[in-house]
Amino acid sequence: MTLFHRFVSMFRWVLRREKAEQQLDEEMRTFVDICAADKMREGVSLAEARRRAVLELGGIEQVKEQVRTSRHGALVDEIGRDVRYAFRTFARNPGFVLVVVLTLGLGIGANTAIFSLIDALMLRWLPVRDPQELVQVKLQEPGDGPATDTFSYPIVRALGEQQEIFTGVAGFSGYSFNIGAGDSIGKVSGALVTGGYYETLGLNPEAGRLLTRSDDAPDAPLAAVISDGYWERQFLRSPAAIGQILVVNGAPATIVGVSPPGFTGANVGMTADITLTAGAFASVNRQVAELIGPGNFWIRALARPAPGVSVRQAEARLTTVWSGIWDSLIAAHWPQSQRSPFANARFQLAPGGTGWTTMRDRYRQPLTVLMSVVAVVLLIACANVASLMLARASARQREIAVRLALGASRGRVVRQLLIESTLLSSIGAAFGILLAWASSRLLLETMFPGSWRVTFDLTPNGHILGFTAAVSAATGVLFGLAPALRTTAAGPAAALNDDMRTSSSRSRLLPSLIVAQVAMSLVLLVGAGLFAGTLRNLQRLDPGFNREGVLIADLEGRRTPVPQELVDEIQALPGVVSASVSTHTPLSGSIWSDRAVPRGQPVPERDSAFFVGAGPRLLEIMQTPLISGRDFTDRDSAEAQPVAVVNEAYARRFFPDRQPLGQYLSAVVRGARRDLEIVGVAKNTSAAGLRRRSPLTVYVAYRQLTGSFPTTLVIRARGNLAEMAAAIRRAIQPQMPDTAIEVLPLSAQIEAAMVQERVMAGLAGAFGALALVLASVGLYGLLAYTVARRTKEVGIRVALGAERARVVAMILGGAVRLVSIGVLLGLPAAWAASRAVQSMLFGLKPADPATIGGAIVLLGAAALVAAYVPAWRASRIDPLTALRHE
Amino acid sequence: MDKLDIPQGTLDLMILTILVREPMHGYGIAQKLAALSQDQFQVNPGSLFPSLYRLEQDGKLKAEWRPTENNRNAKYYKLTAAGRKQLERHKQRWIRISFAITSVLEGA
Repeated sequence: MTLFHRFVSMFRWVLRREKAEQQLDEEMRTFVDICAADKMREGVSLAEARRRAVLELGGIEQVKEQVRTSRHGALVDEIGRDVRYAFRTFARNPGFVLVVVLTLGLGIGANTAIFSLIDALMLRWLPVRDPQELVQVKLQEPGDGPATDTFSYPIVRALGEQQEIFTGVAGFSGYSFNIGAGDSIGKVSGALVTGGYYETLGLNPEAGRLLTRSDDAPDAPLAAVISDGYWERQFLRSPAAIGQILVVNGAPATIVGVSPPGFTGANVGMTADITLTAGAFASVNRQVAELIGPGNFWIRALARPAPGVSVRQAEARLTTVWSGIWDSLIAAHWPQSQRSPFANARFQLAPGGTGWTTMRDRYRQPLTVLMSVVAVVLLIACANVASLMLARASARQREIAVRLALGASRGRVVRQLLIESTLLSSIGAAFGILLAWASSRLLLETMFPGSWRVTFDLTPNGHILGFTAAVSAATGVLFGLAPALRTTAAGPAAALNDDMRTSSSRSRLLPSLIVAQVAMSLVLLVGAGLFAGTLRNLQRLDPGFNREGVLIADLEGRRTPVPQELVDEIQALPGVVSASVSTHTPLSGSIWSDRAVPRGQPVPERDSAFFVGAGPRLLEIMQTPLISGRDFTDRDSAEAQPVAVVNEAYARRFFPDRQPLGQYLSAVVRGARRDLEIVGVAKNTSAAGLRRRSPLTVYVAYRQLTGSFPTTLVIRARGNLAEMAAAIRRAIQPQMPDTAIEVLPLSAQIEAAMVQERVMAGLAGAFGALALVLASVGLYGLLAYTVARRTKEVGIRVALGAERARVVAMILGGAVRLVSIGVLLGLPAAWAASRAVQSMLFGLKPADPATIGGAIVLLGAAALVAAYVPAWRASRIDPLTALRHE
Repeated sequence: MDKLDIPQGTLDLMILTILVREPMHGYGIAQKLAALSQDQFQVNPGSLFPSLYRLEQDGKLKAEWRPTENNRNAKYYKLTAAGRKQLERHKQRWIRISFAITSVLEGA
């Protein structure tokens, strides 16, 4: 008997079930007939003979059931019947099914949505050859600081030469290119890579060729690889795109090929539409020429260990090789204190097959918290559906009793009920997947607002479907098992008895499900309150500047001072109050630190303060109050005495007991030694981070800067900011032919810095509200059910003279008791949960009494509303009708 | 005297043995089994029929519907070649087992 044979016969049974059933039935009848004929020969009547024959057989249906369950394929067959039976049951109760599917769909959908983000951000392999082989290179300096994962261009090139360790090393960094010229200029998200990038990842071109090592030489012609998506959008997949010239930051680059579909770079979530080699781009771009020097650590590296070399061996060999080459790779002009840690650094190779993104670190905690939140929402949904099932189970008890009496084992009935519940959860899951998919765009916009470069594919894939299937199966068992066991516990005899309905009402299961829902809702509501409070505290924080009414334009390509005429031109535009320049704007994410101490003290080797290069009237435009002294003016020119404004924190640290005005600072500004005269003291600002204490800050005059530095135009304007932004862009774009100018409100930049808090407040609030609604519906359902059951009792009470108010109080009292127990159980859980998210909070303690109190009040109010309708209905019960009940 | 339950795993062997001589229907097999065991065995149709169906599904038995001597249509089970082989194997094993058990019991 081969396995194949077995399958064939198994499926024959399943497929020809009708006929098989008929034959089985026929065979049983034959047995009874022949047996009865035998008995009659012993002289009993036909009826008696048949009765004895059936007895000898042990019941026709029972034997048939035993045959069915013991043959191969029985399970498949029975499950098929159970599924059909379940659908018939559903068709009779569409309302019940709708409520269950909606509840579970919301719960499962929320889980699917958050999980698909986690999948896209953290779990998905890069679409490259054997991604599991790839490692990300990290360097651990002596001490227990975190390992660095950025390297200078020379180091990545040197790593790529270690062919006995790696078959290839792929260095990459996200880069925003200005593509085109004149009016058609636009920003395109791209990447700068080393020559080994595509070869290491093992990719084949969709068209043309990919970049190679020879493209990374300084004298190589500038070659660009475009993404499949960019090819589609810009060139309609025309083969003629290969060989065309793209103007990249003012320099011509030839499109040599298209990367394969699905691959958007090793930087997860940041689509690279245009990829250039760093070496070749450096020869046409000053900024990148500076970047690829030994002093800048900005490239991440993925590597593929050579065949037969384990990760541990590669790490050990790399560390050995490093001791011989580090000296030539680390910038020679760096001070010894900065160079020496590299001598004893050790390499670490972390799994790299899922690529790299900064967002992973930034979103790990928020996503973990959100995943826990949606898991709790799903638990509440399960508890809710379980109580619905329980309430409904008593209505079905008779049907189940009949099935038990007809020879179905308890396990068999439990299985049938579990199949019903998993079917419900599967339908809920299908609905949830649709919900998650439909809301994925909204979710991305909430999580990554305004970042046009962030793209994730949240289309349901194998991971996501697998996750949702597992969740839905677990859900089905979770909410189905208790009701199934409860319903079948009594056995056929008790169940067929009329009184069983009153006996099962004594169960504590239903109220405890409500208590659990209340407790879990409290946890979510407290969490939502804490996150909302955090966002509110940050928004109310006085940052030391006024973000309203200010526009900024980052002239990122420019590393030399902007001409004064350009600033004057903007100043002259109608609606502009004042225009100036700054090297760094608040919360832009980029900062500049350098060294400055009062004259007479030795200048330290390490940076001692944050620096901002400020144009005339910048502090006035930002509305950063001056404690004393003056703002920068037009007179602070390159030829004048170098001046500085320090913030309060700096003044307090370095001039604790003297007036700083008129004192001098010894400073190193962008590599140049300077003596700066302090002309003003400004109020502290949270420009470097809303949550951090204001760092020691030195403002220096923009016009007195030398060397290379970034520039942002800062403009205070009246009226409609969007219109002003467009007007300013029109005025300056023609003078900046190589840079796509974006003029944005400063408030957008500040908002972007609060995105994590906004997401947490928004999503935790939404899920908290969902939990509240579910718990209220659950409570309402329980009370309505209780009132319906106690109609007779209430009727008697009313007949015996109980006042309506007392009846209402009785029902409400029950609700209050349940909610109180739930709150008491929920409080420690809420406390523990808020401790876990403490680091994400700002300006309030985990056990914030106002938040906890608010959550309890909200929960109580919702519970009273939910309880009032059943209570009122109970009070309207007419004793006469009630006593006739049943 | 109480009837004996059929020892675990031996029902298949006995069914195959009974069917080796001629095809029979379910009731006939039950009767024959009772007779051959001198009414010692309690033959429960609730285990007999599932065994028959399983053996049929495994290809050890083949079934056909034909009239009984009383002209009642019944399902007759017949041994297949595979069934014959299984019978031989299991019979040898059972003889060895019962011989071994008897030896132990008598040797003690």
